[in-house]
Amino acid sequence: MKDKTNIIKFGFAAIVLCAVGIAGYLFHEQRVYREPVVVSENITEVKKLSDYYDGVKGTINDCNIYIFDSGVPGGTMMLMGSNHPEEPTGVMACNMFIENLKVTQGRIIVVTRVNTSGSTCTRPGEAYPRYFTQDTEWGEKKWRMGDRIGSPLDSWPDPEVYIHYPSGLNLAYMDIRNTNRNWPGKPDGLLTERTCYALMECIRQEGVDMTLDFHEAELEYPVENMIVVHQKAADVGAMVSMMLTSQTFDVPLSVDFSPEALHGLTHREVGDYSDAASYLAEVAEPMLDRIRGITDEELLMSGKDRFVMEAGKHGLLYSPMDENGWPIEKRVARHVETARKIMEVNGTVHPDQVITFEGIPSYQEILDNGCGPYYHDPSTAPADRVFYD
Amino acid sequence: MTMFQHSLIVLIAIVVAFALAKKLKVSTELSMFTATIVALIVHVLVPMGEDPRSPLPFAEAVRHVIEGGVNYFDICLIFLTATFFMSLYKETGGAAYLVRLIVKKFHTHRNICLLLLMVVMLIPGALTGSGATTVLTVGGLVGTVLMTMGVSENKRIALIFILAAMSAACPPINLWAMIAAAGSNMPYVGFTIPLGFLSVVGSLFATFYLTANSKMPPLEDALKQLPEPPAGWNGLRVALPFILMVILIAGGRIIPFSFPVFGMPLIFMLSGVLVLIVSPKRVNVFDVAMTTVINLRGLVGIMVVVGMLTQIMALTGARGLLSLMVVTLPITVIFATLWIILPVAEGVLQYAVAPLLGVPLIMLFNQLGFDPIVSLSTWAVMLPLGDCLPPTAVVGRAAVLELDFKGSYYKDFVKTALVPMLFILALCTLVMIFNNQFAALIA
Repeated sequence: MKDKTNIIKFGFAAIVLCAVGIAGYLFHEQRVYREPVVVSENITEVKKLSDYYDGVKGTINDCNIYIFDSGVPGGTMMLMGSNHPEEPTGVMACNMFIENLKVTQGRIIVVTRVNTSGSTCTRPGEAYPRYFTQDTEWGEKKWRMGDRIGSPLDSWPDPEVYIHYPSGLNLAYMDIRNTNRNWPGKPDGLLTERTCYALMECIRQEGVDMTLDFHEAELEYPVENMIVVHQKAADVGAMVSMMLTSQTFDVPLSVDFSPEALHGLTHREVGDYSDAASYLAEVAEPMLDRIRGITDEELLMSGKDRFVMEAGKHGLLYSPMDENGWPIEKRVARHVETARKIMEVNGTVHPDQVITFEGIPSYQEILDNGCGPYYHDPSTAPADRVFYD
Repeated sequence: MTMFQHSLIVLIAIVVAFALAKKLKVSTELSMFTATIVALIVHVLVPMGEDPRSPLPFAEAVRHVIEGGVNYFDICLIFLTATFFMSLYKETGGAAYLVRLIVKKFHTHRNICLLLLMVVMLIPGALTGSGATTVLTVGGLVGTVLMTMGVSENKRIALIFILAAMSAACPPINLWAMIAAAGSNMPYVGFTIPLGFLSVVGSLFATFYLTANSKMPPLEDALKQLPEPPAGWNGLRVALPFILMVILIAGGRIIPFSFPVFGMPLIFMLSGVLVLIVSPKRVNVFDVAMTTVINLRGLVGIMVVVGMLTQIMALTGARGLLSLMVVTLPITVIFATLWIILPVAEGVLQYAVAPLLGVPLIMLFNQLGFDPIVSLSTWAVMLPLGDCLPPTAVVGRAAVLELDFKGSYYKDFVKTALVPMLFILALCTLVMIFNNQFAALIA
């Protein structure tokens, strides 16, 4: 009897070891996967984040900083993606800029992966896919699907409660690894705090005039299909909202002002701790809703979910939701167009900060063609134009 | 077949598989694991609805199960290290010395003694957000003092559990409120008064209700019931490990920007090392560590499997279906049923209930014009009461282990705890219904 029990135990142990081995291999594969990006031939320079603050040198968050400088005096805008790596449109919109951009006046700086660490693992308990892919003419372009926060492999343990520096605001313990709760950063802090500090240094040293942080939100969340702006950017933000709502978007883009008591987010701290005016753009992502149905890459990319639709029928959503869902091209297109309009309107309000550029598809072009045509094949591109995030 | 039907079938499969496994006398954690695997198989076999879906390769399905298993890794580490610390304290005789000290000092002042014990119980959970940590660190000590006061075994364990639950609910750290607030992008600010009011009132009621007929015995009789500590212990030695623990925890609050982040597991381990240094009695550390792991095997196993189950429920849409069913109830039904839904859900899902039900409920209440801070506070005090309910019963099981409780879990322990639990649930429900008035009162 005892022998039989031991055999069963050994059998289970072997199965568990195999399962852990398979999962471990997949975790490792995602951890080391690097996303190729074919930079536009008009790029000026690709720097590392540690060029601005060496406290992140050698860490996983020492991301690429893509700089497009026209050489013509004007404004400087920074675009940020993947502040929350579970919100994929940020990285997709940033890649679209990096691969196609030609700046004709002023400068544009793009940070594709603000929280690289968080993009190397998914969120336990949420059943996310490990990757998401976009069909292109040359094959599939693949990105890592991440967590909302940094990986515990890079920053652990967490404090029992996270106290934001320098405001002293109490936040949930895991937010110590949330890059959008750690601005303006702390030079001698934990990895996420140092990352935000390095990005603030980048903003200050490059003399950035505007930052735009791309996000997505669950439809149950009131800050939805919106730009949140620092008070410095109130006039531009209001005009961008009015123009895009009346002329371009089918679902309105509302505007809200950054609450002064809510700390750690880009829209508050970048504006407070640098000369830049800070914007944060949100678009609907049904996969973030807790009431969603089956979780898979299809849901992430199509944005179609019957449970979320049902919640909409009960008046529980802050965004319209029908059987067409919120497809990825629509979400990316809204972000790209919001960035374009902010630069355009800001140039009229602040003539010394004019930025003009070419090569980026319009909102309607992205809706018509999808995102695929705007990403390029790294296997056929010149090696000096392929970078990895 | 629609996605609703698919997820409903998965949900039914989970319940049936769990019930069948339990009927076959399989342990709770293995029953839940069986339900998880059955849910995954049903998900793959049953059509997934009218919309296109991504394939789910075998390796990815395995990855989901393992990934879910590490969901509560931190909490498991806290359980293990806190228990290791307290086991060292017990084995070296420090715990026995401390209990005798408390009895000697306060045996003539029953109410002060009870209030002090309540405060002692509230502190660990208030600082860590974990009721199990409270039970594992001070539950045994307080239980022994209650025993010397003549409090019956059933009432002792009921009180230890409720105080542990209220300690987890008590500010500054309430993990349910923090997780739900974070999930709703709401700052964890303004919760101190509502959480403090509800948890302290609940604790006071439970303490004095469950010890109503107890009285302090003569000192000699009380001391006779307590084990003799080894010679060499004194007040300073016994206090030092706790002082270190408090310094390491409080340091992060008082000087957060210059104090290193230790994390609770390391704090407990360092405190444990100090116990070994100050103890006049040598113990076999390896034996204590082994006993700790063996004692906590079930508890840790439950947490691992709950993580797996919630991940598979999210994958299959079963989690979304449950959430949707709750948030689409009429508000009067929500008011009338949350007091039962929340503790039961906590018993099943543990902290996962905060993002699963807490976030949609915050959105719903916010939309209906209710005060989200007060409302969330009431749920965050009701939730830990479910920690004595199956299948997880994490804090309840920890209390049984720590107090070496021999009675019936439900007929003796849970039944005795029912009146104070209902009082707390009623109080929270009232505050939830009149949330705007309460918010105005404390503003």
